[in-house]
Amino acid sequence: MSEFRPTHRPALGTKQTVSSAALRLSPLPEGTIIHVLAQPGEQDVVSFLGRFTKSPAHAVRPVSPGQWFIVHDEPMPHQEMKSLFATLEPRATGVDQSHGRVRIRIEGKMASRALSKGTAIDLDPSVFPIGQSAVTLIGHIAAHITRVGSEAFEIIVLRGFAESLWDDLARMSLEFS
Amino acid sequence: MASLVPCPNCGRRPKEEFTIKGAALSRPAAGADAADWFDYVYLRDNPRGAYEEYWHHTSGCRRWLVVSRDTQTHEVAACRDAADGSRLEERA
Amino acid sequence: MTSYRLPKGGLIDRQAPLSFTFDGTPLQGLAGDSLASALLANGQLLVGRSFKYHRPRGILTAGAAEPNALVTIGRGGRTEPNTRATMQELYEGLEAQSQNRWPSLNFDVGALNGLLSPFLGAGFYYKTFMWPAPLWEKLYEPFIRRAAGLGKASYEADPDAYEKSWAHCDLLVIGAGPTGLAAALTAGRAGARVILVDEGSLPGGSLLFDTATIDGKAAADFARDASGELQSMPNLRVMMRTTAFGWYDGNVFGAVERVQKHVRDPVNHVPVERLWRIVARQALLATGAEERPLVFGGNDRPGVMMASAMRAYLNRYGVAPGKATAIFTMNDSGYALARDLEAAGVDVVAIVDSRPSAGVEYHGKARLVREAVVCGTKGRKTISAIEVYRDGRKETIAIDALAMAGGGSPIIHLACHRGGKPVWSPEKAAFLAPEGLKDLAVAGAVAATTGLAACLGEGAAKAQAIVKDLGLSCPPVAIPNVDGDEGADPGRPLWSIPGVKGKAFVDFQNDVNLKDIGLAVREGYSHVELAKRYTTSGMATDQGKLSNVNAIGLIAKARGVSPAEVGTTTFRPFYTPVSFGALTGAHTGHHFQPVRKSPLHDWAKKHGAVFVETGLWYRSSWFPRTGERTWRESVEREVLNVRKNAGLCDVSMLGKIEISGRDAAEFLNRVYCNAFLKLPVGRARYGLMLREDGMIYDDGTTSRLEENRFFMTTTTAYAAGVMNHLEFCAQALWPDLEVRLASITDQWAQMAIAGPKARTILQKVVDEDISDAAFPFLAAKEVSLFGGALHGCLFRISFSGELAYELAVPAGYGESVADALMEAGKDHGIMPYGVETLSVLRIEKGHVTHNEINGTVVPADLGFGKMVSATKPDFIGKAMLQREGLAAPDRPQLVGVVPFNPEQSFRTGSHILAKGAAATLENDQGYVTSSAYSPHIGSTIALALVKNGPDRHGEEVVVWNGLYGESTPARLCNPVFFDPQNERLHV
Repeated sequence: MSEFRPTHRPALGTKQTVSSAALRLSPLPEGTIIHVLAQPGEQDVVSFLGRFTKSPAHAVRPVSPGQWFIVHDEPMPHQEMKSLFATLEPRATGVDQSHGRVRIRIEGKMASRALSKGTAIDLDPSVFPIGQSAVTLIGHIAAHITRVGSEAFEIIVLRGFAESLWDDLARMSLEFS
Repeated sequence: MASLVPCPNCGRRPKEEFTIKGAALSRPAAGADAADWFDYVYLRDNPRGAYEEYWHHTSGCRRWLVVSRDTQTHEVAACRDAADGSRLEERA
Repeated sequence: MTSYRLPKGGLIDRQAPLSFTFDGTPLQGLAGDSLASALLANGQLLVGRSFKYHRPRGILTAGAAEPNALVTIGRGGRTEPNTRATMQELYEGLEAQSQNRWPSLNFDVGALNGLLSPFLGAGFYYKTFMWPAPLWEKLYEPFIRRAAGLGKASYEADPDAYEKSWAHCDLLVIGAGPTGLAAALTAGRAGARVILVDEGSLPGGSLLFDTATIDGKAAADFARDASGELQSMPNLRVMMRTTAFGWYDGNVFGAVERVQKHVRDPVNHVPVERLWRIVARQALLATGAEERPLVFGGNDRPGVMMASAMRAYLNRYGVAPGKATAIFTMNDSGYALARDLEAAGVDVVAIVDSRPSAGVEYHGKARLVREAVVCGTKGRKTISAIEVYRDGRKETIAIDALAMAGGGSPIIHLACHRGGKPVWSPEKAAFLAPEGLKDLAVAGAVAATTGLAACLGEGAAKAQAIVKDLGLSCPPVAIPNVDGDEGADPGRPLWSIPGVKGKAFVDFQNDVNLKDIGLAVREGYSHVELAKRYTTSGMATDQGKLSNVNAIGLIAKARGVSPAEVGTTTFRPFYTPVSFGALTGAHTGHHFQPVRKSPLHDWAKKHGAVFVETGLWYRSSWFPRTGERTWRESVEREVLNVRKNAGLCDVSMLGKIEISGRDAAEFLNRVYCNAFLKLPVGRARYGLMLREDGMIYDDGTTSRLEENRFFMTTTTAYAAGVMNHLEFCAQALWPDLEVRLASITDQWAQMAIAGPKARTILQKVVDEDISDAAFPFLAAKEVSLFGGALHGCLFRISFSGELAYELAVPAGYGESVADALMEAGKDHGIMPYGVETLSVLRIEKGHVTHNEINGTVVPADLGFGKMVSATKPDFIGKAMLQREGLAAPDRPQLVGVVPFNPEQSFRTGSHILAKGAAATLENDQGYVTSSAYSPHIGSTIALALVKNGPDRHGEEVVVWNGLYGESTPARLCNPVFFDPQNERLHV
């Protein structure tokens, strides 16, 4: 079946963008998410990783000590990813999570109010400025949140939970829509 | 209603983000006496006051932490990453 | 009918009438009314019947502490019993019903309880229990249940939405009275992030009925302007209709916001209540003080009211309590009320002051009776006269409303929620907040500060200090100029009143009176905790907000000690009742728990899968086809087809973990009981993970894809647990090992392709050679698909016992690849199969799952004894596995079971008995862990854990199930029912 071309099915393909003056909730394209796990004791991994990112803004996101996500809107070809992983070694290991995680964008002046219905982290810009990331529970589901704009956040969630989290976020946004 | 745990990596987070394992004990060496192993696997102190426990920040940084808390007041005196030095020194 | 609406005054909108009903009677109130003020405006003094004696009760307070005026609001699923009329805002169309009366509020049969009252005193519940037991069930319990009650909950589902939210601030100010407003203004102007919460609908607290002026403005106007300024600050959030109900660890406050409890038709996209968890760096309690009732005879008669409440109804709501009022006071606050009543044109007949002299001058028309008390009241459903006791003489004075001013008790509840005990202050004659509280300050009346100017000043000063502590600069605070400040003298508490006649209530809601307290002390229950339980004082839904301090004062007096020595009972959250709806939040129905969907969910759906919830996952159980009448028919077809042709099963929900790093192999060697160090690259191995106590924790296959990169699979149920466990091992036990763990469960859609035709089908999509020679049993590697269009991982592993593979592809392509495999296998008879078939196939092969790995088995119990490495220096569980008992020959061990008669069947969970043995615990030989109908064997087959099982193959036993009364003759056998030589694996 070498002529067969597999088709991609996005996890949130059936979800409609929720949009109002105060808030907008939208699924992001399933591009590339690379989970980087640094070797213990590595210094300044962020600037090292920065060299491998295509879109410079907020492409490298901290996950936990020694771990980052590198995020692109576009899928990365298999060979390119393999050679990227080879370049990372031995300082860090790359794991492809482009399909394992799904990105959701929530923005608007009520975005942080809506998210506060799920997460206990303080999203005030003085505490959680642009570029800041955190892994936290949103309701019952663990997710990774990054502030990507003064009123915009990106959420990265496990694919299996993506629909459920979307439904929860839509419910949390209801009063602002 | 709420209880915040000061994760050294993530800041103060609600207890719902964590999984508690229990007493933070040092695992005996492979060839240790059976008595040491019984202590490690089964026997626990139940102090009224300071207690060290392993907590896992499951819905956060996914690091195992050693939380020193007071069982009476719930006050958390300290919280450190389980991989950090002091445990190793303890065993040395 | 004596209370009425005054022609002018109050913070109500006289142009906005609102219709409502009380017990079905149409009444009218005004916008700005509470239900209580509207009832009073309609002359409705009688609003309920008391809990035990069914005494007529009226409205006692104007706030959260109300013990009497509890009504049921709404209907159907929106029925809300035990609503305090004093806290319920009036809205158009509100329906209120009185409670605990039959057949009607005016004529209540239960009032006969009053005649039984000698039997219903303190401790009557306990004493009743000691009477002949048979009488309890038939007589007392039904009687007590019918007679003593509150409102009735609805059985209909609540149609409204609820939710929870977090909030964060530098300073949380609780209470928007004068102190709280001054504090919030000060901190807000300094730039701090401030949240101000108040349970009322309007900010202002006592300012809403105070007649003083502040900087030349009426007090209520000052409150309005202050809150206007606060709302305009971006760093300040004012949350009205929000009750802070608890103080928790980490300086988190619980609060409930009644978002739409003041409207008739809540809009459905906004919750009716919202539960807040407010994380505050610092908090300031400005909750004020609760006025105490005075304990005289008939102090519960409708028409008797707290003095501050009467003032609130008069000044805030423009409602006069009656036409001829009296005031019973032990401090100066009674005089301010008298002045306001007279200014509103309401006659004050008498002021009864317990003191020889007052701190303020009084020039009104009322008769002033000093060094006197009210000892009793007269009237039927409402008050008609008071009995005044002075110098041993009693005098009756006709009135239609009575105010009582018993002094203030600081509302310190929240300050005590984290274990601190209130402190009795002899100077202030009050219980004060515990000292040395961390990150929580108190200011104003809750700190027993009296007087408006003092409260404003203290609120500002405390906020200023907090702001400085937070490291912000604070502009100088301007203290407003107060004119007409009463500066109320707190007076001395008046615990017991001479000459009391009739029932003098301490706890109104639970009908506990003076005599009950005395009885408790006499019978030896004078410890405050015992007295509470013996008398039930303070145990009602109001938690003794009005009664506790009086009860303590009375106990102290009876014991001849200070209230400090009696102490208080424990203050616990919640301050006022919180609905289950708010506590549940949005986690109901569709949002009850997350749903976890496989990337092949929709693929399974389009093939007609019947789903089963396993944990959070939805797994396909079986795939029924037209004409199949039972699930068994579908499963048998799927089983036979896998053994004959091929089947495709979604196994994406197996846990998958990528393990890498220099010490990855050593790490695996320590977490599995069998050896992994020398697993060759490109090979998979079955592994058993033990707990530290030696029992098996989980199993799965782990493949070495590169020298330092492994692909581990776990069972679905333990996927999260295994990841946590591995992280524990890596981080806490062996941080010196260089190993990295990444959960990749969701990255891969994984499908099992099993059956004799599996290779033929798979080879059509996989580019590499997968012949037995090139890709033998237990081979594992990365493969390319469709001529390099896609990349995945292929494992030659088998749970079914057939030639089988597991193929992992990037999740987003899962459905497309499954479609391609179905297309490729169309001519080879491929069919989807579900977990039921998976289960039959594995039982036929004697493969174990968590049915067998149930926390009580060690490897040898399942026939894996030889797998356990004898040479590894250490692995999890090694030490405890050496225990003698775990090697005992009579341990329950894995065995197969089949019924003698293939027509007979038995169930999982049934016990194994030796033939002819009685079904007793000591004869128990073990139990069935898994069972299924095997189409190959043609009968039920089962796996069981049986004592000495492996040595008893061929033995006749009885499978016994006491729950179903079943007893089935059966034979123990080899647990591998199908292809015991594993020939089909290696083709």
